[in-house]
Parts: sequence; C-alpha cells; structure tokens
Amino acid sequence: MSQKSLLKRINKPLASLKLAVFIIVSMAAITAVGTFVEAKYDAYAAKKLVYDTWYMYSVLGLLVINLTAVMVDRLPWKKRHVAFVLAHIGIIILLAGSWMTWQWGLDGSMRVGIGESNNFVQTAETDMVVYTSFDGDRYSKTMEQEVDFFRHPPTVEKPFVIPAYEGEIKVVDYKKYVVPSRKVIEGEAGKAGAGLRFQLQNDNVNVIEWIVQKKPNALASHNFGPAQIFLGPAPEKPRGANEVFLTPEKDGLRYVVFQKDSAKPLKKGFVKEGDVFDPGFKMALQFRVLRFLPAAIEDWDLKDMERPTPLTTSAVKIIFDGKEHWVLLNDMVKLFTNNAVYLLTYGNRRIDINFPLKLKSFNVARYQGTMRAAAYESVVEVPDLGEHLISMNEPLKYKGLTVYQASFQEEEGRPVASIFSVNHDPGRFLKYLGSLVLSLGIVLLMWFKHLDFKLARSKGAGKNE
Amino acid sequence: MKKILLVIASLLVSFAAVAKPGDALKSMPVQDGGRIKPYDSFSKEMLEIIYGKTKFEGRNATEIVLTWMKEMLEIIYGKTKFEGRNATEIVLTWMLSPQAWEGKKIFEVRNHQVLKALNLPNDQRYFTGAELFAGDRFTLLRQELQAKRETKEKLDPYFQALQRLENQFFIFQEIAAGRMMKVAPPKEGDAWIAVADLPEPLQEKFLDVTKAFVTHLGAIASEGDLSASGKALDEAVVKFEEVAKAENPSLYTVGGKIAAEVHYNDFHPFRWAYIFYFLAFTVLLLVWTLSKESLMKVAWVLIAIGFALNTYGFGLRMYIMDRAPVSNMYETVIWVSWGTVLFAAVLEFIYKYRLILMAGTLVGAFGLVIADFAPAVLDPTLQPLEPVLRSNYWLTIHVMTITISYAAFFLAFGLGDIGLIYYLRGEEKFQPQIKAITMSIYRAMQIGVAFLAPGIILGGIWADYSWGRFWGWDPKETWALIALLGYLAVLHARYAGMLKHFGMVVTAIITFSLVIMAWYGVNFVLGAGLHSYGFGAGGVEYVSAFVAAHILLVIYVGVVRQGKGKKVTK
Repeated sequence: MSQKSLLKRINKPLASLKLAVFIIVSMAAITAVGTFVEAKYDAYAAKKLVYDTWYMYSVLGLLVINLTAVMVDRLPWKKRHVAFVLAHIGIIILLAGSWMTWQWGLDGSMRVGIGESNNFVQTAETDMVVYTSFDGDRYSKTMEQEVDFFRHPPTVEKPFVIPAYEGEIKVVDYKKYVVPSRKVIEGEAGKAGAGLRFQLQNDNVNVIEWIVQKKPNALASHNFGPAQIFLGPAPEKPRGANEVFLTPEKDGLRYVVFQKDSAKPLKKGFVKEGDVFDPGFKMALQFRVLRFLPAAIEDWDLKDMERPTPLTTSAVKIIFDGKEHWVLLNDMVKLFTNNAVYLLTYGNRRIDINFPLKLKSFNVARYQGTMRAAAYESVVEVPDLGEHLISMNEPLKYKGLTVYQASFQEEEGRPVASIFSVNHDPGRFLKYLGSLVLSLGIVLLMWFKHLDFKLARSKGAGKNE
Repeated sequence: MKKILLVIASLLVSFAAVAKPGDALKSMPVQDGGRIKPYDSFSKEMLEIIYGKTKFEGRNATEIVLTWMKEMLEIIYGKTKFEGRNATEIVLTWMLSPQAWEGKKIFEVRNHQVLKALNLPNDQRYFTGAELFAGDRFTLLRQELQAKRETKEKLDPYFQALQRLENQFFIFQEIAAGRMMKVAPPKEGDAWIAVADLPEPLQEKFLDVTKAFVTHLGAIASEGDLSASGKALDEAVVKFEEVAKAENPSLYTVGGKIAAEVHYNDFHPFRWAYIFYFLAFTVLLLVWTLSKESLMKVAWVLIAIGFALNTYGFGLRMYIMDRAPVSNMYETVIWVSWGTVLFAAVLEFIYKYRLILMAGTLVGAFGLVIADFAPAVLDPTLQPLEPVLRSNYWLTIHVMTITISYAAFFLAFGLGDIGLIYYLRGEEKFQPQIKAITMSIYRAMQIGVAFLAPGIILGGIWADYSWGRFWGWDPKETWALIALLGYLAVLHARYAGMLKHFGMVVTAIITFSLVIMAWYGVNFVLGAGLHSYGFGAGGVEYVSAFVAAHILLVIYVGVVRQGKGKKVTK
C-alpha cells in the first residue's frame, strides 16, 4: 500500500494536466510550422526539418509518458473511467502502430512503363555507392552508405570522405534545389570518350545535339526519327536502317552513311570541325560538325533555385584527384586514375522486391468531352498470381506488399507509364485498433457526460469563480 | 433515399409546368466541363468567368451568351445563302440584339499589376475586348505566362490573374466561334458536337433557335407581349432537341436532372434558407431584448422552414450530381451552416438557453450569405470529381464528419461573440447568462471534438485505403489535427481549472481561427499538398480582417474587464 502511494507520488507530476496542455499546444505549434515549411518548400523538406526530428519525437515521447502516467494516477479504474481510459490507451496504441511502421515499414514508389516490368521500389532515403574496377570492365561494389545531405550538408571544411584505392573522394558541397542543364567539356585524353556536337538541317528540320561516348571506342547514338546518328566504330556491313556512323580519329571524323534498302554504303568521307556534308538521304539534309572533342565528358550547368519545383533536383559536388564534378541525384560519375576506375552513384535507395511486376496495359477514363482524368487502372502481371487489375482504391496485395495505383505519366496526351505506390505496413493492425479504441473512447466521453470532470469541478469548486 | 429523390423529381415536374414562355432554352442540354448541363448553367458559368457576375446590365446570362455567337454566324453562314436571303440579312437579324459586344465593357480584370502591365487605369474594373486584347501587350503577357508555366513553379496572384485573363480571352473567342458550346451528341464516342461543326439538319434547326431567340430578345427589348415570341422560341428549341436526340438517344436526355438543375438555378434554395434563418434570428433578438416568450414558437417555425430549404437545396445538388456535395469549399460552407443550425436546435432543445439558437441562426445565415456573395472564392458551380475522390464512400464520410465538427466549433464561436457582449454589458449583472453560455460553449466544443477526432481517423483510413499511407502530413489533414489539438488543449485546460468562464468565451473565439485555417487557410493561404483539388484564390484579405477583428475585440473586452475588476477590488 505504501509502495503504491510512493509510486503515485512520483507519478503525480508526470500525470499533470498542465503538462498535458503544454504537450498538446507544443504538438499543435510544431506541426503548424511544418505545414508552412511544406507550403514554402515541399513535403520532403517539412519531413526533414520538422516532422522527422528529435524535438517532434521528444514531444511524442512526453505525450506517451503523460498518457501512461495519468492512467496510472487514476488506478484502480472504476466504471466511470472506461471512456477516459479508452481514449488515452487508443492514442498510445495508435502511436505504437506508427512506430512499427516507421521502424519496419516500407513506403516507396515504382514506375513501370507500359509493356515493361520492374522489381525495384524507390524510397526517399539516399545512398552513396562506389563501384571500383581495375580493368575498366568488371566492377565490384566497394562502398555503400546511407547519406542524409539534406540535414547534414557536406562543406569544404567538413567534407564527406569516401576512401578509395588511391587517395580519397571528397563530397564538399550539396545543393538542395537546382535546375540542371547538360553541358560537355573537354576531358582527359585516353580516358574519356569523344564528343560531337552536330546540326542536322533542312527546310523542315533543325536539330542541334551533343553525342558523347561513355568511354573511348564505345558507341553512342542519337535517334532523330528518320535516321539514327552514331558516334563510334562503324559496322562492316549495313544493318538495314538509315544510319550515319561517325568514327573519331585524331583530328576529325570518318563518316559512313547506310540506307535502309541498300546493301552498299550510301556515302563515305572525312569531316573536321566546322565542315558540312550531305548524307545523301532523299530529303536534302545538311550535316554540320559544330564541335568535335576527341576527349569529352558530360557535366552539368546548375541553376540555383530558392525553392523546389517539379524541374529541380539536388546535386552534390565531389572532388577527386584535384578535379571537381557535380553529381545529380539518381545520376553517376566515372572517376579515372592510372590504375583504376571508380563509378560513383548518388541516389534514392532502390529496394528489390524479389519479383517482377509487369504492366500489361493501362487505361484512363476521362470525363466526357474533356482531357480530365476520371479514373485510371493498370493491368499487371506477377508470378503465381497472373494478371491482376489495380485501380484507384483497389490495390494488389501480394507477398506482404500492397501495390496501389498512385498516378501515371503522360507524353503528348497519351499515358506511357503507370506509377504505383508500394508499401509494407507492419503497424497497420495496431493503427486500426488504436483508431477504434480512441474513437470509442471519445464518443463514450460524450455519453458519460464527463463524470470525472464534474467530480473534479465539485472538488475544486472553491478555486472556481 | 430513393423516395426522397422521387419526391424531388415530382416537385420538379410541377415546377417545370409553371415555366415562363421562352424558358425551354434554359434547359437545352450542353456538354461542358466533363458533364451534361443545362444551357442555363453553361451561360451563367461563362458569363461568370468573363464578367465576374451571372448577370450583365440586369440581363440574365442566358440572354447574353448566345449573342456572343454573332461572329460565329458570319463564319458559318457568311458565305452561303440561307433560305434565299443573303448573309448580311442574317447577320442583320443578329443586329436586332440591342448590344453589339465590341463596345461593351464586359471583361472583368481585378489585378492591379495586370492592369499596369496592360497600360490600363487601375481604378476601373471592367474593360472592352479591344482594350484588353487588341494591342501586342496581351501577346507579350501570354508569352510571359507561358514562360512561367514552363518553369513549373507555383503561380502567384499576378500569374493567376493573367491565367484568368487568358481564359477569358479564350472562352469569349471560342464561344463567338461556336466551338465552345457543344449542343448535340455524337453518333460515336462521347465528345459532343459544337455549334460550328453541326451537321446539316441540326445546323438548320439550331439556326431556327437563334432566329426565334433574336425575335424574343427584340420583344423583350420593346417590352411587348412575350408569350408569342416565347412560344416560338420554345417550339424551336424543342424541335432542335428532337433532332439532336435522334442523333444518339442514349446520350441525350431532356428533363430529369437537367430540369432539376434549371430549377436549382432559378429557385436559389440557399438564399431562401438564409433569409429564413435571418428572420428567425431577428425574432430571437426580440425574444431576448423584449422578453417576449410568445414569439419563441414563431422563431422555431422560421428555423424549421429555413432548415428545410437548406436541406432541400442540399438534396437537389445530391440528385443532380449523384454524390454527396462536400467536394469543394462552397459545398462545405453550405453543409457547415446546415450543421450549425442542427446542433443549435438540438442543444436548445436540451438546455433551453435561447442564446444557443440565436448564435446558431446567426452563424448559419452568415455562412450561407458568404457562400452566396463570394462566387469568385467559393465556386458554386457543379463540377465533376477528381479521380481520387470518386466512388469512395470513406471519403464522403470523412469529409462530412470533419466539416460537421466545424459546424459545432462555429456555433461555439458564435456563442463566444454573444458572451463578449454580455461581458461588455456587465459581468456581475449577467452572471447566469454567462454561465449558460460557457456551458453551451463547452458542450459545442465537446460535440465538435467527438466528430473531429473520428473524422481525422476516417481520413487516415481513407488515405490508407487509397494510397497505403495512414498519415502523410498532408497540410489539410495536419491542420484538421492542429484544430483538434487546439480544442483538446482548451478542454483539458478547462478541466485543469486553467480556464474559467471568460477563458472559455475567449478560447471559443480564438481557437476557431485554427478551424478557419484548416478549412479555408490551407487552400487559400498555404496552397500546397494532396488536397490541391480544392484550391482557389482570393478573399484572403477579408478572412484575415475577420480573424484580426475578432482577436482585437477579445483583447478589448479583456482590457475593459480588467479595468472593471480593479475598480471592484478598490
């Protein structure tokens, strides 16, 4: 008995109503700030800066302590405590469910093109991965680490260091929101492939493009519809298509043109920077070599933005061997030394779900006479189950995962890919249970006419007005 | 449910029977915005976009919008002879319409920055088409808008205003060219045929409609007898509808929902509802100030009529759109006003404080008046739903539960206002009334919390069901939670003895700001998140002023009360 009263005395301050009011107000204030951050930036920023932080978790922790303490304080419970206990236990169960989701849940998205299949789910976490190769051909993963540059951006003073076989790769800068545009700069001879900027022009067409080889003597191409332009070694014989091959040499390009219906090359020749030639197709085209770099690498021009738009991405700056490179999110960079090649990727985590999800077809229903989508659905195929229809509010449940129809991608008014949200939620049962208990408690509180409250008021009547 | 609809339908038939001559045109089916609507709604919506109102110089939208099409006639019939008369004669019949639109200031532009960019005076609100679109400035502004769109950034008010301007230009042009108004069903597919593309027999019949229409307009202008011209117009419309229906009978229905919509447009059930609420409020005011108990019955009757009308309008919208009408701000305001009056009546029935009913009618009427007078902010048009919102009954329950809780908080807010008046008139003298008010506020808040918490949870269940995410910190959802936390804090503080009577009155008013933020602010101030389908613009200044005025009032009463308190202790 005395032990119990001691426990109750220690418990008293934790069960305080004033503490409860303080917690409730703090939660309201913090989340309110979060919504403003979301409005100014985006949901990711709000999560990183407000919702997913130590202070938010401290307040939630305090809430659980306070809720538990106030229920301990009312021990032993009487009949009139039913509503009060249900409401408070409901919140604790709900929070427990959320914690389980946070710990062991998976929440990602998956894009599948029509007719294609995918077995990778992309999540919000970002990883930095380095693959190393000593022969330039076979790569092995030498580092994989989760990075959170949004919250802990690297700087020149405090770089993120990745040890390499020779020297180290340093990440020295991080930009949250940039609009990238591609550019090509001169690379190191012998290590980088060639780069070609060309113009294809006639009365109806005007195409200006860069083609850059990934490494020397690799084949890179640009398809412009009627014909395909290749930079790299030409095949011996025509392949039955309209193709132009430009093979880099020391101070120019050797070209050969193949035509669809012809067994012989249509044209051959040699061009230098600034030269023009007519490939000889039926449409009179001018091929102009605007720029030729025997060794070229692709880089990014970044425009800094204050806040995110659908066009922005994030980027990190790395320094290796005295040279700087910008790497965009979900992109990679190749770093060369005399003995090794490092392939560094920076991007969202991709989780293998261990089965392929194939998108057989995709359907959009539109409101009559408009382009407004009224509903959309995907027919997918998974092993064992065969075909299955996923539509809005009708997900696929398979191997512990739930696949929802989230949205779709359109190109020129036609859907090209379906976007699914894929998740695994071990806390779902607790969340539903907590919701039920909490709602029951709150509704009962109404019915019981708040007996507890009346009692407290009559006790503290002297203090009241 | 079906019975109610049947009753509504039979009511409609009786209403349709008493229609004026010339009204058949109103219910001619038009395809627009993803659904079939009566020409009446179509013309109102179009005029609203162009002019910002549903009437122009006292004339109805139905009379206006067709006359924009005179250029269309030149395009279609300008080169061919019709019934042996040449084109100019036909165009001349168009000239019978008393206005030529070129010189009319019919385009509304409100944004000063846009006006400045167009080199137009900003003390004016309406402009002619030539003033706005003739110069190359408009072209430059369109390019500016296009460039902004390509960056995919959010549009600020200036660009939103530009977007509206572009829309006004587009709509006027398309209507004039006969491409906007789609009046006949296709033989295949579901995109209807516009006036300009009508096949031969339909074209003829439509021209008959326009001719009869112009004659009718002439009769209206000369204030002559309308029955003959009206009848002729009705006949022409019916003939056109017959031929149009023959094109594809399964897509073309006259009457039913279309007639219901015309009736809804004509009748304005919500306007009548707030008139009755306001009358009830006035009577309750008399009961209150003159202590005339006998008038209580009158008040109850007035409230019952207002409530029935409110319900009737709600039912009509449900019948027309086949869904619970809680999908945008306008519809939730109507719903909340309905809920406020309902809760007030129930609480009044139990406690008999009278003040509850007064607060309820005042707040209910206020909500409906706002909905009626701010169509630019609260869009009253009937729109089809976004994909995520369709065929989901969780969603309907979730939104209805959350918004009905706002009704209870709104009632508490109204009671708070009345409480402040009592504090100003003398705290000591009105002690019993103040106690009654605090008790009512407490009850209203409890009702609100009892709906809001399950409503938020239902939202979580819906999100889990649709997206697999129970809680995603979506701003609309989050602000509903913040409002809930606010009221929970108040209830707990009251329980802890931190809030006394004055505290309850003050928090009833202040905490309602959170509801305003959740309900209105998220869409119009924050403008981010998954709930983007409810977003619009405008009215922020008025709402902020409303909130600020109430906070100032609370502070003022607080200061006055403190002064009085000191005097008493001295």
